[in-house]
Amino acid sequence: MSTKSKEKVQMDPAYIIKLTVTLLVTCVVVAAALGGVNAVTEEKIDAINWAKTVEAMKAVVADPDNTTFSDKLTLTDEMTAASGSVTLDSVYEAQVGGATAGYAIKVVASGSQGKIEMMVGVDGEGTVTGVSIVKNAETAGIGSKVMTNMPTASGVGVLSQFEGKSAADGLLAVGTNVDAISGATVSTRGVTNGVNAALAVAGVMG
Amino acid sequence: MNLGKQLKEGLLTQNPVLVQMLGLCSTMAITTSIMNGLGMGVSVLIILTAANVVISAIRKIVPDKIRIAMFIVVIAGFVTCVDLLLQAFVPAIAESLGVFIPLIVVNCIILGRAEAFSYKNGVGASFFDGIFQGLGYTLVLLAMCFIRELLGAGTLAGFRIIPEQFPIGILTLPVGGFLVLGFLIAAMQWALSKSKEGK
Repeated sequence: MSTKSKEKVQMDPAYIIKLTVTLLVTCVVVAAALGGVNAVTEEKIDAINWAKTVEAMKAVVADPDNTTFSDKLTLTDEMTAASGSVTLDSVYEAQVGGATAGYAIKVVASGSQGKIEMMVGVDGEGTVTGVSIVKNAETAGIGSKVMTNMPTASGVGVLSQFEGKSAADGLLAVGTNVDAISGATVSTRGVTNGVNAALAVAGVMG
Repeated sequence: MNLGKQLKEGLLTQNPVLVQMLGLCSTMAITTSIMNGLGMGVSVLIILTAANVVISAIRKIVPDKIRIAMFIVVIAGFVTCVDLLLQAFVPAIAESLGVFIPLIVVNCIILGRAEAFSYKNGVGASFFDGIFQGLGYTLVLLAMCFIRELLGAGTLAGFRIIPEQFPIGILTLPVGGFLVLGFLIAAMQWALSKSKEGK
């Protein structure tokens, strides 16, 4: 009983208003401080992210030195539908001397330990020019071998093996036309799904 | 204010990780390389000190009922600041620590010290509490990183010490984190009970 009556006293409107106002003022002050920090860091962070994106894109095009990249292209429903279960993050146009040379397609596939963000370069003929991993959480020492392009049993880098593949090879699959790193089949499969999705997206873009 | 006592508590008798058992999740997750440990340790030290000072300064005007909510708002504010600053000025560390920087918001060391210390003590004492507890946390991280990176990956701060075929890879996996932490806690308890007997 005694606790109940105590509760009642504290439900006094003036007390509730005091609580609300204190919390509100704290939030406003903290939000203002964050706004300040954000204003200082926003441009820098954007620049760093763009530099990282460009670096990832340069790694997957045929002629990195002469290629420039467009801003993010607008994604159409057709493109997102083509990527299927793999999330299509963004598409950039790769240009050599002002003419379209192909696309850098960023997709997010699922690996064994979460998402694998990867960049896939596809040239004008729909052939893969390169694959690079932007971000992953694969197991160190196992799935990470796929992420760092270690050679498979055939001696070719697990990511390099996708170069030259195109939609004409059919759906890529580990075991049939893709070699996995031993022990890291799931990670390899994730990357393969990503490449399939990127090829499909490039396909609908023509 | 008794700085010597606070320092001893932070590093040894009340070490946040090995004795209070706070912040174990981040300890386990990020201690795979020395650079990670240093980045995380320093980030927590700064956030803990700043949050301690602010919470101690506002402790008299914070209504008891909503103190936890207020603590979290203050802590989240500092964590987001540090996160943004790291991303802007040391992107390499921000990238390797990833989500564990934002997760400092829910790191029990910071909320724990707010509740147990800075809500009851003055600004000066809370400032030093933040520094010493932060140091205690950082030292444990570095000890774990040292063991796990050296034996698990064969490197130290990225430099190869042990040839590639010898390291015990399991130490860099979560299992290794539990093992190393368990041994460290045991060693700490042994040392503490020894020193008690000595008195």
